[in-house]
Amino acid sequence: MMMANDIRPEPSAKTGERLLDVKGLTIEIETRNGPATIVDGIDLHVDKGETLGIVGESGCGKSLTMLSMMRLLPNKIKVTKGEANFAGRDLQKMSNSELRKVRGGEVGFIFQDPMTSLNPVMRIGQQLAEPLIYHRGMSKAEARKRAGELLKLVGIPGAEDRLDAYPHELSGGMRQRVMIAIGLACNPQLLIADEPTTALDVTIQAQIVDLVKDLRDKLGMSVVWITHDLALIAGLVDRINVLYAGTVVEDAPVDALFANPSHPYTQGLLASIPKLSDERSARLSSIGGTPPEPGRRPKGCPFAPRCPLVEAICHERVPTLEGLNHDGAHRVACFVAQRKLEAA
Amino acid sequence: MSVVPMTTTPIEIEPPVSLWRDAWHRLRRNRLAVFGLIVVVILAFAAIFGPYLTPYDFLSQDLNSRNMAPSLSHLFGTDDLGRDVFSRVVYGTRTAFLVAIVVTFIAVLIGVTLGALAGFFGGWLDRIVMWLTDMTMSIPNLLLVVVINASLKSPITSWMESRYLATLNPVYRETIWVDFLLVFGSMALISWPPYARLVRAQVLSIRSRPYITAAQALGLTNRIILMRYVVPNALGPLIVAVSAGLGTAMVLESAFSFLGVGVNPPTPSWGNMISDGLRVWQHYPHLLAAPAAVLGLASVAFSFLGDGLNDALNPRGAK
Amino acid sequence: MAAQPLMRIENLVKHFHVRLGAFGERAATVHALDDVNFDIFEGETLSLVGESGCGKSTTGFTLLNLHRATEGKVIYQGKNIVELDEKAMRPYRRQLQIVFQDPYSTLNPRMTIGEAVGEPILFHKLATKAELKDRIATLLADVGLPPRFASRYPHELSGGQRQRVAIARALACQPKFIVCDEAISALDVSVQAQIINLLLDLQQKYGLTYLFIAHDLAVVRHISDRVGVMYLGRLAELATREELFEHPLHPYTKALLSAVPEADPVHERSRKRQILQGDVPSPLSPPSGCRFHTRCPIAMDICGKVVPEWREARPGHMVACHAVTEGLPG
Repeated sequence: MMMANDIRPEPSAKTGERLLDVKGLTIEIETRNGPATIVDGIDLHVDKGETLGIVGESGCGKSLTMLSMMRLLPNKIKVTKGEANFAGRDLQKMSNSELRKVRGGEVGFIFQDPMTSLNPVMRIGQQLAEPLIYHRGMSKAEARKRAGELLKLVGIPGAEDRLDAYPHELSGGMRQRVMIAIGLACNPQLLIADEPTTALDVTIQAQIVDLVKDLRDKLGMSVVWITHDLALIAGLVDRINVLYAGTVVEDAPVDALFANPSHPYTQGLLASIPKLSDERSARLSSIGGTPPEPGRRPKGCPFAPRCPLVEAICHERVPTLEGLNHDGAHRVACFVAQRKLEAA
Repeated sequence: MSVVPMTTTPIEIEPPVSLWRDAWHRLRRNRLAVFGLIVVVILAFAAIFGPYLTPYDFLSQDLNSRNMAPSLSHLFGTDDLGRDVFSRVVYGTRTAFLVAIVVTFIAVLIGVTLGALAGFFGGWLDRIVMWLTDMTMSIPNLLLVVVINASLKSPITSWMESRYLATLNPVYRETIWVDFLLVFGSMALISWPPYARLVRAQVLSIRSRPYITAAQALGLTNRIILMRYVVPNALGPLIVAVSAGLGTAMVLESAFSFLGVGVNPPTPSWGNMISDGLRVWQHYPHLLAAPAAVLGLASVAFSFLGDGLNDALNPRGAK
Repeated sequence: MAAQPLMRIENLVKHFHVRLGAFGERAATVHALDDVNFDIFEGETLSLVGESGCGKSTTGFTLLNLHRATEGKVIYQGKNIVELDEKAMRPYRRQLQIVFQDPYSTLNPRMTIGEAVGEPILFHKLATKAELKDRIATLLADVGLPPRFASRYPHELSGGQRQRVAIARALACQPKFIVCDEAISALDVSVQAQIINLLLDLQQKYGLTYLFIAHDLAVVRHISDRVGVMYLGRLAELATREELFEHPLHPYTKALLSAVPEADPVHERSRKRQILQGDVPSPLSPPSGCRFHTRCPIAMDICGKVVPEWREARPGHMVACHAVTEGLPG
């Protein structure tokens, strides 16, 4: 609880206690022209029992931040600055073996592609039992029993019979349920879902979103849901962080974000989603240009080259996340938005 | 919700870089590859111009200065007939390059044609080509060369001698070409299958890429698709294979000459020089060391260059 | 809408024969497309939606004769084009174009943008060599790219820019009809909107007809005149966009629509979704009768036995469902 403007909204299950607190995390990638910054001093946090949505387009660093914090990325990508506190301990200072205990034990993961994230030559029962044996010290028989319960929990029909199935014998939706079961195996305090429905069809996607929602309410864990689809998480999350080029540009409770998007990038994103009420052939609002490549970040605000509201200062200085004065929980990193709202 | 009108801002991008130029940049940054390239260029230079620049003829004997140790007048010393070893090694480079280039050229020609046809058209053609490839690969290399030498060499040489006696045409006098013909032929015969397999695999993978379907959707003919879409995209791995293949062919030529089934004396080849040097290496180590060192250098250089080309043309992780 | 369709698809069937098992010992048939009937009218955008494996992309490929149809007809300009060989097909290829999903792999990495766009122009003799440069610049301008892009290679472009090039290449043929096969699915949200706008602009400018294949219903709702819903190789429902989204008849369409998330947290939290149970069955052995009956919330006895007829339930609203057509006369 270091920040001054630490006024959080108070929805249902939240206690206001920080579970994950990332401060000034900077991530660089080795390229052939030397290191390039992909994530630039990012700040974000998740409270106990809270569901955070991280939204951004490809290459904005949304998955990278979470994965690199857990040291799940190749050596080419490194955290160079900042800290990431999980339940009061700095993940960056942990040894690999300590961090391994956190991964899969206290923090569960679900990844985008359930086919490649599951080991194709191992029965799913074994894959489920593995973290239980490793993290919980269960016996094989206990772990198998628990694995069966987990498959039932994630709604796989005939759960016990499926323990001996191989991943290729299951459909995409079923595999993603298995992934969720693995993520939940050790009752994690935090579940990190990295675009878990992107590879799935829309009806299956709805099943998975509802499943995670149910499980969260049942198990009382925190969830970080990483996605590019604002609509998908509208009914799921408590709070949203919008990422652009490796920085959080807007941080707001979900209702405030949709009702009053304040960063021009958030506004552009929302405006480019087609609406029911649109006339056919009505032009969609779109954001011109493309996001900057890593290593070619502009000076000043990274969104300035594409921004419709850009001013001279935007090319000079990098805006920081500031709470808006009428709502401290709604923070935005934009000089123009901040000034406008202060004036109002 | 306030919707802000969005504008299009032109995004500046760098001047165009072709894939080839990009590969060249990557190659230049690879030290071993650059070393390999420099050695290959020097050797190629020696092969083309060397024999005109060396101070001695590779055949001229000087019985007064036999088995001399390396000195300023004879850089690599002289052999048992007083011939300048340096001049002979340089001429051996020409032999090695000639054999390597001709053999690789023939092998690539056969391999690429068969592989591309098999991969693109598939079906029975593919089955026949693959059967032929497997058959050829199952023949022991050395055995084949020895058999070809033993069975074909003397009939051809005696036929040429008889033609020379009958016509006095000098074309028939130089039986050295029989050596080359047999070496080229037998080596090409065993070298093409890897190229055929490589190209077939490439074509198969390229044929299923969306840009091929896109080209078909434009109505382009099979010939255009093959020439403009399939071949250029299969070229990278082929270049790598050719570079490595040249080195292999050189080593193979030396090996055959060493065993007496390749290029025969007095034409210098690194292989037959090594073979000669081996008999006296305890007394005159330079006779073995000079050709062996150059052969080793050439082999290593081609292999470094091949690896470098592989990395440069198939950059993993690059977009 | 003109009464005369630009293209008429009749009883189109596409089966793929595959071999299964470690040694390919079992032959099997993938029922990718079965008995599909619909018309495409000039100047309209007809969308096909459905989940993966429903046959929407196969429809696009088959009606352009990029896949050989197993049975059925595709009538275009009075000719059944799916029975033509590659040579006889060539003049039609120019008029019937396609834009693919993945902008990263539909361009030949060894060809510059100018070469890629210029190639169909020269091949179909739509301009002389002297006019070519101007023509390429015009096409690039049409898709919102500056002329200097002509000398660039695909790997230097972003996904959205490559998709613009792919569109320019299709336009280079001066087509009448373009199949957009998931053409925007791989793009980021903000870029998606740019490409949708571009497609709409080009349709107006050149009077194009689109067959728009997509799985994103929000996008489909935005750009379509008519929408067809496919399930496991068959058309389930086809209607105008208003009809389909306001009055869906087929239970699968209803489930599909209810699964689409809306960008509205209050609405999303309170809404009751009709969530389909289970997964799409394998097209290797599709269910008998109505292919949806295994997951259908209102399935009846007849649904597992008899294939429902493709009928007009309301004017211009086609549907294949026993429950819907039961109440209809005759």
